[in-house]
Amino acid sequence: MSDVVAQQATEQEPEIDLSIADAIIDKYIDLPGNLMPVLQAAQDEYGYIPRLVADHIAERLNVYPSQIYGVLTFYAQFHLKPRGRFIIRVCVGTACHVQGAPRIVETFFDKLGIGHAETTPDLRFTFEKVACLGACGMAPLAMVNDSTYGGMTVQKVDDIVADYSQRPLK
Amino acid sequence: MVNLTIDDKQVTVPRTATIYEAAKLNGINIPILCHDKKLKPFGACRMCLVEVEQMKGRQIPACTTPVTEGMIIRTSTPDIIKARKMVLELLLLNHPLDCPVCDKSGDCDLQNLTYEYQVNSNRFTDEKFHHEIDYNNPLIERDMNRCVLCGKCARVCDEIVSYGALTFIDRGIETKIGCEFDDALNCEFCGSCIAVCPVGSLLARPFKHKARWWAMTKQKSVCGYCGTGCNLTLGVKDNKVLTTIYDEDQGFHKGQLCVRGRFGYQFINSDKRLTKPLVKKNGVLTESTWDEALEIVAGRLKVGSSVAALATPRLTNEELSLFRTMLLENVGTKNFDHAAGYAHSALTEGFAGSFGATASSANILDIQKSDFLLVIKTDAYETHPVVGFEVNMAVKNKGVRLSILSDKRGKLSKLPDAKTLVHMPGSEVAVLNAIAKIIIDEKLVDASAASIAGYAEFEKALSAFSAEAIAAQVGIVASDIKKLASEYAAAEKALIIFPTGQAYTGHNADLANAVANLAILTGKYGKEGCGVLCLSEKNNSQGAVDMGFYAQDGGLNSLQILDACAAGTVKTLFIAGENPLVSYPDRNRVKAALDAVEFLIVSELFLTETAATADVVLPVCSYAEKDGTFTSTDRRVQYIKPAIRKNVQIKTDFEIFSDLISRLGGQAPLRPAAQFEKIASNTPGYFGMSHITLQKDGAFAPVKITPAFVTPHALATVAPETGKLALVTGSALYHSGSLSQYGEGPMHVCPEGYIELSRSDASANKIAENDMITVSSATGSMQLKAKVSLRMPAGVVFAPYHFSTAPINTIWSGAPVTMVTLVK
Repeated sequence: MSDVVAQQATEQEPEIDLSIADAIIDKYIDLPGNLMPVLQAAQDEYGYIPRLVADHIAERLNVYPSQIYGVLTFYAQFHLKPRGRFIIRVCVGTACHVQGAPRIVETFFDKLGIGHAETTPDLRFTFEKVACLGACGMAPLAMVNDSTYGGMTVQKVDDIVADYSQRPLK
Repeated sequence: MVNLTIDDKQVTVPRTATIYEAAKLNGINIPILCHDKKLKPFGACRMCLVEVEQMKGRQIPACTTPVTEGMIIRTSTPDIIKARKMVLELLLLNHPLDCPVCDKSGDCDLQNLTYEYQVNSNRFTDEKFHHEIDYNNPLIERDMNRCVLCGKCARVCDEIVSYGALTFIDRGIETKIGCEFDDALNCEFCGSCIAVCPVGSLLARPFKHKARWWAMTKQKSVCGYCGTGCNLTLGVKDNKVLTTIYDEDQGFHKGQLCVRGRFGYQFINSDKRLTKPLVKKNGVLTESTWDEALEIVAGRLKVGSSVAALATPRLTNEELSLFRTMLLENVGTKNFDHAAGYAHSALTEGFAGSFGATASSANILDIQKSDFLLVIKTDAYETHPVVGFEVNMAVKNKGVRLSILSDKRGKLSKLPDAKTLVHMPGSEVAVLNAIAKIIIDEKLVDASAASIAGYAEFEKALSAFSAEAIAAQVGIVASDIKKLASEYAAAEKALIIFPTGQAYTGHNADLANAVANLAILTGKYGKEGCGVLCLSEKNNSQGAVDMGFYAQDGGLNSLQILDACAAGTVKTLFIAGENPLVSYPDRNRVKAALDAVEFLIVSELFLTETAATADVVLPVCSYAEKDGTFTSTDRRVQYIKPAIRKNVQIKTDFEIFSDLISRLGGQAPLRPAAQFEKIASNTPGYFGMSHITLQKDGAFAPVKITPAFVTPHALATVAPETGKLALVTGSALYHSGSLSQYGEGPMHVCPEGYIELSRSDASANKIAENDMITVSSATGSMQLKAKVSLRMPAGVVFAPYHFSTAPINTIWSGAPVTMVTLVK
């Protein structure tokens, strides 16, 4: 492993500030059935659920760590690994598929160097194929966070990647 | 009651029954994989589908459907059989079908149902699972490829054990049973999950490839470790105990066991067992004959009054009673005792004064029938794990409230809504007396209390125990003590539980009196779900007290006997199964006594540290090789019969005492049954019992209570010393006394002594997990491995006492709290 990659790998595990989790737990501590809102809020804050945070939530809410892991792996909405600053979603539903979505997906793979549900080492991009984004008239469709890009082409993929590569990470 | 028809049979069942239970009650067997009678219905496996006429056309699961009046149920129509066959086909689709090498084969529900329903082909095809098998711990193997996802392991771990190691992870076809973050299993290893697993997904590793299920005989017995009195089924082949077998109908605990009971049986067939009598010749223990050894022993015992004896409360009632008879009548000494002389004082002094009986006023079955539990020390879970399961179930399933008074937090503190008051070590009696004062001051006293003997003096003496004064001394807020007092007094039924044992010196007569005073004050005794329950340490601790095997009428107690040995007034010491060098406080004191005594006789299973210093060592039988009775901590007298034949070269303690009595010119009964007849005729509560009547479930020896208040005396407080930490001793979950060191299972997971300390003390002393620490007290110094935990309060450290390799009595001289320093 080259030094650069090793450095990137350590950068992926930044120091985790448990006071953020504590603030969330304090807010929900008296709410019956508080596990889901706490996990959702923790994911909003940390971008994913780090193990340290899961264990801390288990301790504070007096829930088995195993039970939290069961919930985290049951729902697709939770992520156990850090996610990118920009989440690129490309629709591969029927309409988009017919309009060439597979080529859009392939181009993103090439440009980003990652596959489905993966994150770039610099935590800039996470790429996901999704079944339908509900805007078939704009097929083929891509989204970056909350921005929608209709009528996608291979050229537009380049533009999107170039654009978001310039933007600040924080 | 509800009337319904099952398979054309008119039946009447309780309103709360499910269809499955209704059928079972009436002898109709519905096949099922995900049901266990102790667990809540789950409805996972779909094997128990039945037809209900009123729900026409639907197949419904019997295990989750409650009965209703007039239901007409059919359990095995052609459609139902077809559906069950398909369920089996689907289960077998991904199952590896490696039955020839699976240890579950023969006892496997999936295999048996496949056979019963003749599923000899499969219409579906799919890939098998490729989950990695978890071999990371020495006791429990997890092979998720064989799993049928019944969820019983995860449920038993939650509902009964309350550990929560296992859960369903992932979703859909990916679903499997696993631990958090898919880690290797690392839990308390009670093996309850193994017991309930219907297939070979969870297996006892020590039993792997030892024997086929059908090749073993299954022998009922009673566990030989703690005082809970759990029933066991031992799997025996070729006269060896190879495993323990789950029987959900066995005992009050319905077959549940802890790590010691399930995995600690290996000492029975250990190759370290003594097989020949040893006699010291020219300073060396040399193999001898029984005749020579017993003749030498009898010769020494004839000296009479300079003889003293210590016995382990692991012997049967018959043995202890015969030993006592021999000492009193044939030897002529009153100097005999057990459990270091103080571990039984809660019963023999405490309850004797408070209740007029040397036994607890409540039994284990009261736990789930109570409304409010007060546990003194979270260690009650570690010392008596299956009693701990009862507490878990009471709190989680029955909504019983739990308060804990302890010097540290523990597993019980994590139960839902459990309140733990953490006090400074050694101050529990002061808090209990403060509670009594609050109950009187707040006029929460039961109407019966004022007329009970000793009330006036008791009330007067309590003036020294105001909540505010005590709170400041013990480090609890006064309002918390008041709240606990009012909750205890207000509960309709309340039960107090506390463990005792050789490592719990503070749990003595004072503590027993303090809790008994509370129960008497509020009238919470002698009724269902009420009273006080002392958890005695060893499997027959209560029996040893009932047999009167302790210092009475001027006889010397254990520690006095040791001092008399050192002083030369006791010249012959007979130790039956105790290992004082490891388990009694103050190793130097014990060593001086054993070195000084002229003649030391030890009867033992193993050449323990104590036995190695003896002049004569007599090899004896374990509980699995003899018959007799054990009395559990709540006075359930249970009969054991030999599970295996004993080695012809060893004797039971009973045979040894009988032989010695005849050598001393007396007449001894030949069989334990005859000795038990004597016991039954002269032991209160045992009247009418016999080996024959006890054979099935045993019987409770009733306790007759004559209440009296025992006046508390001023208590010495342990002053904190700067730079020092307060060491409290106790039991580790995996061990019981020093015997479990010879059980391989417990030693796999907890092989050595350790010192447990808080995170803040660890960081203040720059100590990390597993660092070797020099622990020093006024009496000595030793090396222990550090264990950093969340449960310890700052300034308090804990060490278990079981280990010969790190005997804690080098630094502990018997005080409830010892001030120590830690150096890395």
